[in-house]
Amino acid sequence: MNAQPRSGRFSQALWYLPVLLITAFFTFPLIWIVMTALKPPIDVFAYPPKFVFSPTLDNYRRVLQSDYMGSLGNSVIIALVSAAFSVVLGTLTAYGFSRYPLRGKDNLFFWILSLRMLPVIAVIVPYFLLFQRVGLTDTVVAMMLVYSVFNISFTVWLLKGFFDEVPREMEEAAKMDGYGPWGVFTRVALPLVIPGIATAMIFNVVQSINEFLLAFVLTQRKATTAPIALLNFLTPMGLDWGGISAAASMLVAPVIILAIIVRKHLIRGMSFGQLE
Amino acid sequence: MATLKLELLNLIYGGKGTPSMHAVRDVDLVVGDGEFCVFLGPSGCGKTSTLRMIAGLETPTSGVVRLDGRVINDLYPGERDIAMVFQSYALYPHLTVRGHLELPLRAHRVPKEERERRVTEIADLLQIADLLEARPRQLSGGQAQRTAIGRALIRQPKLFLLDEPLTNLDARLRLETRAALKRLQNELGITTIYVTHDQEEALSLADTIVVMNDGRVQQVATSRELYGHPSNRFVAGFIGTPPMNFLAATVQPSANGHIDENPLALVTAAFSLPLSATSIEASGVSGRSRLVPGAALTLGVRPEDLIVGPPDGVDGPRGRVVVVEPQGDERIISVALDGGDSAETVWKVRAPKHGPSAKVAIGDVVGLAVRPRGLRLFDKETEERVL
Repeated sequence: MNAQPRSGRFSQALWYLPVLLITAFFTFPLIWIVMTALKPPIDVFAYPPKFVFSPTLDNYRRVLQSDYMGSLGNSVIIALVSAAFSVVLGTLTAYGFSRYPLRGKDNLFFWILSLRMLPVIAVIVPYFLLFQRVGLTDTVVAMMLVYSVFNISFTVWLLKGFFDEVPREMEEAAKMDGYGPWGVFTRVALPLVIPGIATAMIFNVVQSINEFLLAFVLTQRKATTAPIALLNFLTPMGLDWGGISAAASMLVAPVIILAIIVRKHLIRGMSFGQLE
Repeated sequence: MATLKLELLNLIYGGKGTPSMHAVRDVDLVVGDGEFCVFLGPSGCGKTSTLRMIAGLETPTSGVVRLDGRVINDLYPGERDIAMVFQSYALYPHLTVRGHLELPLRAHRVPKEERERRVTEIADLLQIADLLEARPRQLSGGQAQRTAIGRALIRQPKLFLLDEPLTNLDARLRLETRAALKRLQNELGITTIYVTHDQEEALSLADTIVVMNDGRVQQVATSRELYGHPSNRFVAGFIGTPPMNFLAATVQPSANGHIDENPLALVTAAFSLPLSATSIEASGVSGRSRLVPGAALTLGVRPEDLIVGPPDGVDGPRGRVVVVEPQGDERIISVALDGGDSAETVWKVRAPKHGPSAKVAIGDVVGLAVRPRGLRLFDKETEERVL
């Protein structure tokens, strides 16, 4: 690669320019939040905005001592459990849809997907009444269940595409080797769709961590999630921009950490099942 | 090592709304212990479907598959003691070569020491010992193919199936691998079934060739028999390059025949040929009773059974040279026969590079003599060979 002609390297550098611009465009809100979180109150409202200031951890200190941490914990637990549960169930379902004959398969598959298309507002009242009757209002378990409904349908839809891409010969070869259906699934199909599983995991976590409307209605005190708790920074004395920024940046952190862990598989996963 | 027996095997795909396809029809076949058997035929002829039924990847619509006398129809593929190499090799990106070789052994719960011993053994045999830790994407085509073969053979199966295993290799590697495969099969003595559409591969590898077309077995024979005594027009046309020359012909009383000998001649659109008693006697085919005046036949002559000569004084077709294709040590000469104007009347001749035909050029008018016993006749209706 070092032997590349100069013009080649130059044009390669030129390609980085738009890439950098686009990256900057998309990461700007995140950078802005982190910056605001680190600013002393006086600099938050400074105009024109200050890019050079003496950073302080006061905002983070305040958030760490508040009730927000409990809600953040709820959010993370709900998101992870719901995502994991959805991936396990969704993977098995998707494999079944992809590989086994089933009467009314297409209709059934569309029905599962349509759960994801449901406007949240339409189901909010039924959910509320349902959980009230079974005594699950304001519980973490209820939120896990509700989010799983949306996450499972998405996971099934995503992973069916991945399983469809696994060449049949690869599974048949394992059958010839002496593996039964479960062996074929765990030894061949599953390892080949890991990028899809990683993608589904990330999407599910993001979905659950961001969700506002359902959480707003279905939780009151104990099971409040972080997006709802962010509202507490809206005080009678005005909006606490520093605090809300610090809290929001902490909400983003789990997603970023997860994305870094699975990033090796994520790129192939995002291209939706192209197994080279 | 084992004997495989197929009894009236049928496979019909589809049905119930979708148009059904009768992919395999009444296949009856015995593959003997240690035999190298090749299924040969054009694509869609049912050869791969038959193989898949033997493997257990496809359920026969009717018929029985027996391995060593035992009916294996209802056994799961992995329980049949049959190994298979797929056209795509079916290697997994997440496993190393060692992982692939160990896979069948793990499935059958072979203990670790035994596993390691067998992996080393087979890797040495296939010369992939130094690649054991490599992953499929790091392997060349030939190495990937040997890995797939190793994975199949490590279990010492009773029956070894290969589905067009050389298709994805380049021409030169294909020749090498072909020879290696033949040697390997010889050494191990495993009963082998090999599917291909390439007649050259079939002729060079097989003890027995099963020619298939349209879901049916056309002929089961050694390569020599298949070439010399094709049982019908399809086999005659499929085996040999360039393919056999065909022309519609009828049997008629000979105009200038010797009354005491055989007063019959073959008359085609382009030429007529006396049917000598000797050539009929020489062929052992029972269908010669069909050689009566008026019989509609198809005449066939292999390109190598034609001799190019001067236009006069030959008892055979005459025509004009239209194409000359040099082929290394020989030339393929296309001759448009006099009196004909269809594709059927352009005959190909394989002529040695040196010798009397060496000077033949495009535009020359030549006569074609048929070598003794070079003539084949097929019934026009049934396509069975009658001479």
